[in-house]
Order: sequence, then structure tokens, then C-alpha cells
Amino acid sequence: MSRRNLLAAALIAPLALLVALSFLAPLGATLWRAVEDGAVSTALPRTAAMLRAWDGEGLPPEEVHGELLRELRAAQEDQSIGPVLARLNFEETGLRSMLLQAARAAPRLAQPLSRSLPELDPRWGDPAFWRLLKRSATGWTPLYLLRSLDLRIGAEGVERTPAGEAVFLRLFARSFEISLVVTLLCALVAYPVAYGLATMPPAWATAGIVLVLVPFWTSILVRTAAWFIILQREGPINAALLALGLVDQPLTMIFTRFAVYVAMVHVLLPFAILPLYGVMKRIPPEYMRAAASLGAPPWRRFLRVYLPLTMPGVAAGSVMVFMLAVGFYITPALVGGSGDQMVSYFIAFFTNTTINWGMAAALATLLMAMTGAFVALARAFVPGLGAGAARG
Amino acid sequence: MTTRSMLSAAAIAAALLAAAPAADARDLTVIGFGGGFQDNARKHLFQGYARERGVKVADDVYNGEMAKIYSMVKANDVTWDAVMVEAPELVRGCEDGVFEKMDWNVVNKAKFIPAGTTTCGAGAVGWGVTMFYDQARVAAGPTDFAGFWDVQKFPGKRSLRSMAKTTMEVALMADGVAAADVYKVLRTPAGQQRAFAKLDQLKPHLVWWKSGAQPLQLVGSGEVAYALGFVGRTIRAADGGAKYPILWNTLLYSFDYWAVVRNSPHKAEAMKLVEYMTDEKPLLALAQDWAVSPATASVASNPDVAKRNPGMVASHASKGLFIDTDFWVENGEDLEAKFNAWLAR
Repeated sequence: MSRRNLLAAALIAPLALLVALSFLAPLGATLWRAVEDGAVSTALPRTAAMLRAWDGEGLPPEEVHGELLRELRAAQEDQSIGPVLARLNFEETGLRSMLLQAARAAPRLAQPLSRSLPELDPRWGDPAFWRLLKRSATGWTPLYLLRSLDLRIGAEGVERTPAGEAVFLRLFARSFEISLVVTLLCALVAYPVAYGLATMPPAWATAGIVLVLVPFWTSILVRTAAWFIILQREGPINAALLALGLVDQPLTMIFTRFAVYVAMVHVLLPFAILPLYGVMKRIPPEYMRAAASLGAPPWRRFLRVYLPLTMPGVAAGSVMVFMLAVGFYITPALVGGSGDQMVSYFIAFFTNTTINWGMAAALATLLMAMTGAFVALARAFVPGLGAGAARG
Repeated sequence: MTTRSMLSAAAIAAALLAAAPAADARDLTVIGFGGGFQDNARKHLFQGYARERGVKVADDVYNGEMAKIYSMVKANDVTWDAVMVEAPELVRGCEDGVFEKMDWNVVNKAKFIPAGTTTCGAGAVGWGVTMFYDQARVAAGPTDFAGFWDVQKFPGKRSLRSMAKTTMEVALMADGVAAADVYKVLRTPAGQQRAFAKLDQLKPHLVWWKSGAQPLQLVGSGEVAYALGFVGRTIRAADGGAKYPILWNTLLYSFDYWAVVRNSPHKAEAMKLVEYMTDEKPLLALAQDWAVSPATASVASNPDVAKRNPGMVASHASKGLFIDTDFWVENGEDLEAKFNAWLAR
């Protein structure tokens, strides 16, 4: 590298480092949160150390029982017991009350604890419980990632979670289904709009661009809430349909998958229109005239000349719309029904309501990985989705 | 770059730096659930304290989501001082160490009604949800939860809170379980199955709400025929002219508590604020403007307050169901997860 290039690289290096760090650091933190399991090791350090030293067969020695109860009571006193209870109760419901009950009863329990604890609650005598506790004492866990794929660690290794709780695989499928439909609809609607904008006389084109950009700049919450007003039973659409006599009962449009599609396409359309517009504006009109002069009918001119030239724009717009759609939370939450919620709804639920960072991070990591895989596959199979240049 | 443009750039940079807010020195901040209660509380409780002690008190609104408080405490950058919390979140927050233990030397423990205090919380107000509908659209609607479930007799959409808490109890009561046995049944897996099966019956007709204003909006716009909503807001709407009946036999109630966020820089001041906000005089002043259901015994039993607030939950407690705090602390996480899984099916 010449001296000039080295100098240029050195000047850019700090900023490049900053950008890389501010991009990679949060991703790394999320990945770490998805697998870290420090709750028990932090709040009950000596118990955790003893459990790690134990071989996992049968029941642990008597000292472990005593140390566990001692540290549970200490953690209760200094208010650090919460994360332990949440972590264990998440893996198996009922452990929260079992541990609290034992901590409260500890002063009255007779020695040896390995006999008196199971009298308090039979689960204390179950080797599976102690193995679960041992697993939670290591620094990391696959629990959250497995649960996000509807799997869990059972008696004989990995097994599926019961049907009543298995919801995430279906949720991922639904998220990708909704995103694909929205991407397709956006591409179909954006194409003629962008074509119009690119070929209209300048005054009209400017007005058109403004009409595309102003909603783009309006708050997404306002736009989504507006759809509620439009689509409701006593809203303008139903009023018009009833007045025209096309229906005799108002249609249910809000809180349905239809409403989700409409609102998402409305919000994401500018992302599809603008790249397309940019690409279309740069296509010289001479190409179409040349094709016409060589005898191609309009449909053939479009298919063989125009469409391939605009594919990079379609690709760029579609990828952007898809990636945004996959992460959508507010719009399905406000206008969709309970069967239309996407993965991000659950990420928000685990972050805001149950404060389960592990699950939120695991779902986010898996969503990111699946989306990346999806786009990579699409680039391999869909023509024109490759980097930049138009392909024949 | 010319000297002039460099100088103007430097001047702008200096101005921006000077305008940057000071790192410390923020006001005592109290957080509530908003609505009419908070507007009136601001006048009598928050600003009342500010006037008396000469400190500045700012207030803000949240929706009950604890994540922000947890992050604040974890990052040791606490910007909220006193918060109004629902009972199970308070107990869990106390266990998790995000709330300070109440300083009973500052806050007088004896002035509260029974169940009015917990380790980290001092009772603020009672709240409840009841079933309601628009009598302008439906002259005679259902009178109990069994009727809420009867789509043949009372057609139309229904709305329930998008949470397991209150929804599961309502489902069991609609299935014929007596109020006294609801939590006993709900503790068992069979009882939970029963509740979900009952909810399955109503699912195609259900619209879910998350924030307190939504049920009023849904019923008011005719989108939903019958809804479960916060009784305070329903009474307020009825006072404002809407024809919403208040069905006390469908009441589910609990208490909200004031809590102080752990490691808040204004910890001591916040405790004094809590003591003031639960005191008799400020609450009586508040009761003049807004129907309160206080947890302070002397105010709750004050006949003038009871007359002004026919909606005080304490006076209808006998007809309603108390939302069991301990039950929801123990089973909340599991049931909410199951509920969300059911919802997503």
C-alpha cells in the first residue's frame, strides 16, 4: 500500500473502529445474554461451587443441603434472591415457592436435612431437581436457546416442550410468512408507483415524491392508530360499503390479518418505492426506444429490457422491507388479533413484562440468525438479488 | 476552510457544549399510571409536597412495565424516585432488589388499612376492573360473567385485558367457580386447563386490550359490545355522560403501592414524599377532586370521602374478588407464559 493509502487508512481507522464496536458490541452483548447463566453462581456462590464439584449421581452430600438453605436465607435478607428464583422457576414451575418455603422453614428443620427436606416437599429427594440445580450453577446455559426452538432438557437429553407451551417455532414461521407477504405486496405496489414517479413531468413527480415522503416522516404510532379509525366497524370504509348496499353487516376488518397486511404495507411502502425510483430514474429511455425499433412488442420490451434493469432496485427495496417487517412489533400489536402477533411481540413481553433477558436475547439472536440465513438463501436463488450490477 | 468558517464552527461547538445539561441535579421524580388520577395527584400530592417542603417535584407516566426500573438499578443510573406499582410487581421487585425496603421510621406504618403495607411498599390507592357496556347501544346487557360468555343471548365482541391476571379468574367465575374458590382451583393444573378451555369458547369473539384507555375506546366506538375495564375510568366516563352501568358484582380489585427505587439519589426525600402522599390531609384534599380509594385507614373510613366516591373499591370489596397478590407472585411468570402461548395459537 502506498504511503497515501496508509495515511488515509490511519485517519479513518479510529472512526471505523468506533463504528465496528458500536455495531458489534451490542450484538455480542445480546448473544452473551442469550447463553449466560450467572444467577445462581452470583447469589449462591458456595452452593454453586459445591454443586460443580459434585458428580451429579443420586443426591448431593448433606453439606450442600445446609449451605443452600443458608445462602438462600442470606440472599433473601439482602434482596438478591430474585434472579435465582426467576431463573429456576423458569426452567421448572413451582421451584420458586418450593425454595421460598424451605428458606422460611430452615430454622425449624431437623438434621439431617437430606431427610427432613423431602418431608417438607418430595421434590427435594428427586435427583432430577438436584441435577437441574447443578446445571444452573455453571456459567452458561442452552436453556433459553432451546426453549426458543420449543425444546428443553428432559430426563434423556433434549426433548420437545409440551404442546401447551410450544409456541416459538410456529411464531417464527408466522413472522416469516407475514414478512414475505408484505414484501411481495410492497414490491407489487411500489413498482407502478415508482415507474410513475420516474416518468412523470417534473412538477407532478415532485408532488408525488412529497406524497410518498410526508407519511414516511409521520410517526409510525400515529399512522397505525389511524388505521384503527379507518377499519373499525363504524368507520368510513364500513359506512361507505353499507351506504352503497354492497354489504348488509359491517365487515370485521380491524384486529385481523388483513389489517396487519394493510398497515404494514402502508408503513413500509416508502422503503420499497424510493430505491426503485432511484434505479428507474437512471435507466436511459434510449434502451426502450432501441428495443422498440428492433421490433419488440411492449410486453417483451418490458420483460427483457426494463425489468432486468430495475431488478437491483427491486432487490434492494425488497431486502430492506423484509428485514424491517420481520422485526415489526407495534403494528401487529395495535391492529392485529391475538393470532397475528410476531416474534418481536414476545421479545417485548420477555423484556418488559417478565424481565427475562435470557429469553428475549435468545429470541432476538435466533431471529437475527434466521433472517440472515433467509436473505443469504434468497440471494443464491432469486435472480437479481446479487450485489449491485444488473444481470442479463 | 477559511478562518471565518472555522471560527463559526468553533462557536457552534462551544454553544452546544454549554447547552449540554448538567450531569447531576435532577428533580425528585414520581411515576404513576397516568390518567385523571395522576392529574389530580399532581395538584394535591406532588405539588402539595413541593409547596410544603420547598423542593421541586417532577412526575411522569408509565404503563406498569418494570424493565426500565430493572435496567436503571442494574446500570446504577436511577432517574425515578417514587413509583406507583401493582402488588405482584412490587413483591417481585422487592425480592429482586429493585425497590428499597420502606423506611417505617419515616412512613407511619400504623395509618394503613390491613394489607395496606408490604416490605417495600406503602399502600396508595385501590383499583378494580368491572364489566361494562354501552347502554345506548344495548339496553339490557349481561349482569355477570356467565352472561359475558353467552354470545347467543348477548351477541357482539368482548374485550379482556391482555394478561393472565384478571382474565383467568374471570374465566373460572364464568364457568361457575365461586369467588372464594377461584385461586384454589387456579393453583391446580386441572383448574388452569379449565380456565383455558373456557377462554377457548370465547376466543373468536375476543379483542384484547393493553392500556386502560382502550376498553373505553373500544366500547365507545362500538367496536366491542362488552368489556372488562378499570372501574375508576368507567365511573368517570359515566359521570361525563356515557351510559355505562357499574356492575359491582363483577369487580376484581387490588391495591397499588408507592415504592422507592433502589439506590435512588433522592432516596431519603422520596420516603418523605411517600409519607406525605399517604397522609390524611393531602388525601382528603385529593378526594374533593377525584374519586379515590385510599389505603390510609382514616381516609378510607371517612364518610364524606365514601359519599363523594361511590366507586371506592373498599366499600364494594364484599361483592368483588380480591386479586391474590401471593398467588400471582408465585404463578405469575408461568401463567403469563402459558397465557401468551395460548393467545398466539
